[in-house]
Amino acid sequence: MMTVKTRILVALAAAALLVGAAVFYVARTSTPPAAAQLPRMASVAPPDDGVDRRSLQVLTNGVLGWASATDPHAPRGLSTVRCDRAYYAARTVACLRPVDALVGTKLSLLDIKDNEIKSVPLTGFPNRLKVSASGRMVSWTVFLDGHSYATTGFSTQTGILDTKTDAVVHSLEEFSATVEGKPHQAVDFNYWGVTFTADDNRFYATLGTGGKRYLVEGDLSARTVRTLTANVECPSLSPDGKRIAYKSAIDADPKKGWRLSVMDLSTLSSTPLGETRSVDDQAIWLDDATVAYALQRDDGVNDVWSISADGSGQPKLVVEGANSPSLTH
Amino acid sequence: MSSRRARTARVTGAVAGAVAVAAATVVAVATAPTAAAATTTFTPVADTSVDNSATSTNYGTTGQLGVDGSPVKRTFLRFTVSGVTGQVTGAKLRVHTDDVSGSNSPAGGTFRALSSTSWSETGTTWANQPTIDGATLGTLGAVSRNAWYEVNVGAVVTGNGTFSIAISSTNSDGADYDSRESGSATAPQLVVSTDTPTTTTLPTTTTQPSGDPVLVGAGDISNSGSGDTATAALLDNIPGTVYTTGDNVYNDGTTTEFNNYYNPTWGRHKARTKPAPGNHDYNTSGASGYYNYFGAQAGPSGRGYYSYDLGTWHVVSLNSEISMSTGSAQEQWLRSDLAASSKPCTLAYWHKPRFTSGADHAPSTATGPLVQALYDYNAEVIVTGHNHHYERFAPMNPSGSADSSRGIRHFVAGMGGAGFYNFGTIQPNSEARNNNTFGVLKFTLHANSYDWEFVPQAGKTYNDSGSNACH
Repeated sequence: MMTVKTRILVALAAAALLVGAAVFYVARTSTPPAAAQLPRMASVAPPDDGVDRRSLQVLTNGVLGWASATDPHAPRGLSTVRCDRAYYAARTVACLRPVDALVGTKLSLLDIKDNEIKSVPLTGFPNRLKVSASGRMVSWTVFLDGHSYATTGFSTQTGILDTKTDAVVHSLEEFSATVEGKPHQAVDFNYWGVTFTADDNRFYATLGTGGKRYLVEGDLSARTVRTLTANVECPSLSPDGKRIAYKSAIDADPKKGWRLSVMDLSTLSSTPLGETRSVDDQAIWLDDATVAYALQRDDGVNDVWSISADGSGQPKLVVEGANSPSLTH
Repeated sequence: MSSRRARTARVTGAVAGAVAVAAATVVAVATAPTAAAATTTFTPVADTSVDNSATSTNYGTTGQLGVDGSPVKRTFLRFTVSGVTGQVTGAKLRVHTDDVSGSNSPAGGTFRALSSTSWSETGTTWANQPTIDGATLGTLGAVSRNAWYEVNVGAVVTGNGTFSIAISSTNSDGADYDSRESGSATAPQLVVSTDTPTTTTLPTTTTQPSGDPVLVGAGDISNSGSGDTATAALLDNIPGTVYTTGDNVYNDGTTTEFNNYYNPTWGRHKARTKPAPGNHDYNTSGASGYYNYFGAQAGPSGRGYYSYDLGTWHVVSLNSEISMSTGSAQEQWLRSDLAASSKPCTLAYWHKPRFTSGADHAPSTATGPLVQALYDYNAEVIVTGHNHHYERFAPMNPSGSADSSRGIRHFVAGMGGAGFYNFGTIQPNSEARNNNTFGVLKFTLHANSYDWEFVPQAGKTYNDSGSNACH
């Protein structure tokens, strides 16, 4: 949970993104060349005018940057950092680097000037990345066998970094799994799409085994997971901790695509959202009533969209030409 | 005073002190032009501006295009002219000043061509802006608020193609124009005039076959789904030699899969097929299912690389599932095969792409020695698959830089029937992409040039075609 002061500071970073606004509000306190690097954080209070200036960290064709969460026509900031997937929470900036010609990907944690402050070398193709709301737990999924979730026979690896202790879980497959109530050993275990709860110990994720894709609840310190229900992929916990947004394979067959849905964790009842295009992403929550996600056009250009979390309404374009969104405020 | 600042101030409830200066000494067009019989109007495919006081900010999705001398703001526009027939007799760029105080200026800016057509609307900033390296096309004097202005750009827009134009100014009282995001009534326009009425649809039946050899195919083809049925139906109506770029069957390259999936579909054209193997074919040890099915048509059994000639073209089928390293048997064979060829044009194909924007398989640097050998011998085209979609790159050198003199045009033709993959970061020089249409990629091999054409499955409309000369 952010403090009010943090909120204000982050809100200002959002305001700074809207560069017109940045010029207007910040120019007098900074020399023009300083504007060369858009600040994620700034030290001046934003105007108390009730304007919603939430912003998103996004990737614009693989370049880390920031854009307005509320105005698709606002300017955006671009760094020179390249990531295949990125996530921001509570000042933790996480980036899965593109696979290089000579080396594989790695998880990089960056400071606010984009310097790498921590890294975990990884093997595979970057796919999912999430930071817990506190900024402490970083979880990622890579494809080992380089295939998509819509094929059979793909292989993923999902790991967790505790940024406080630097402990790394290289693969959730090390954990003891209980599948449909029974202790389970299988060779075809794949985990993907982790989302942590507020205690930074309990988490949700997807377990694919035996042709099914389960929602699992995990316990990091106990190193256990157990299945809750099936046909849930890439869960993303709501700010209030009561629901997950996730992708639900149509007719339980990923080859048919996925319906973005929201599940109430207390009842495991599910609501399909008003987005009828197939969503293959780990969605985020803009607030307790709205989720956002990336969709790819036929020519490979991505856009960030949002939709009401209660099943009503139509998708709204949030950031054109971007994906991998995370809320910076 | 820029109007962007003014607009932001207005939105945020602050006071903007901009004073509108009415100065219209240049021709102002009162209304948006409409297309006449001999003109066609194009709106930009991309437009943005950059600002040296915010060097890492992109304005691509905003409604305005700034032109200013202090802070320095430059505007970039890109148009794609297509479907124009007849002689182009003129081209005018029309821009509309924003209807907001401060958009007026004593200097509307200098319009120049630039060679880069690959800058991105949402990724261009002051820090990475393209070089304005082309001819000066015209200069606007004073511009007033909410009015149209036009500049003759006929010197660069002489026919179909993609054109970039930049607007810059040294006057510290800048101008602001409406961007394409402002709506169709005020978006920039390129009005192209021709000496004959233009047509946008060409009757395909009038195209006479040239009689030159045709090479048609795709990769990532047959499984239990229906994609291979759709692409095989296209082959039924396209004569010529059929190529494959690997992963002929899924998942494991077994004889059963070849018999059950490939044979009833693409197998109808087996007698004219020159295949290449993929990693899924090699899921069966030694790809024996693949070699047994295709027999001598797959080249020497177990080796997987071979060549043949079609007209004035030398065609090479290679194997990305065995060693391709410098000095390897395959690389050495390729170099001597290319050295022995007397044909003026060369095309090669195999499975794993050296260049790809696919999200699922990274570019295969292991194929680099094959690409280098082909470049050393002036080859024209490389076709691959592996990522399940279609992508076309501009001619490039072996390290992936654009190379218009000797570069090889790379295609990823993984749309033969297997389920589609996403794109990841779009790589430099990628010119066309699609991942929702199965199809085949057809080459017509002329004496000293080639045409390429993406032929979509029935019921789909995606297409991509063009021509290049041989080196």
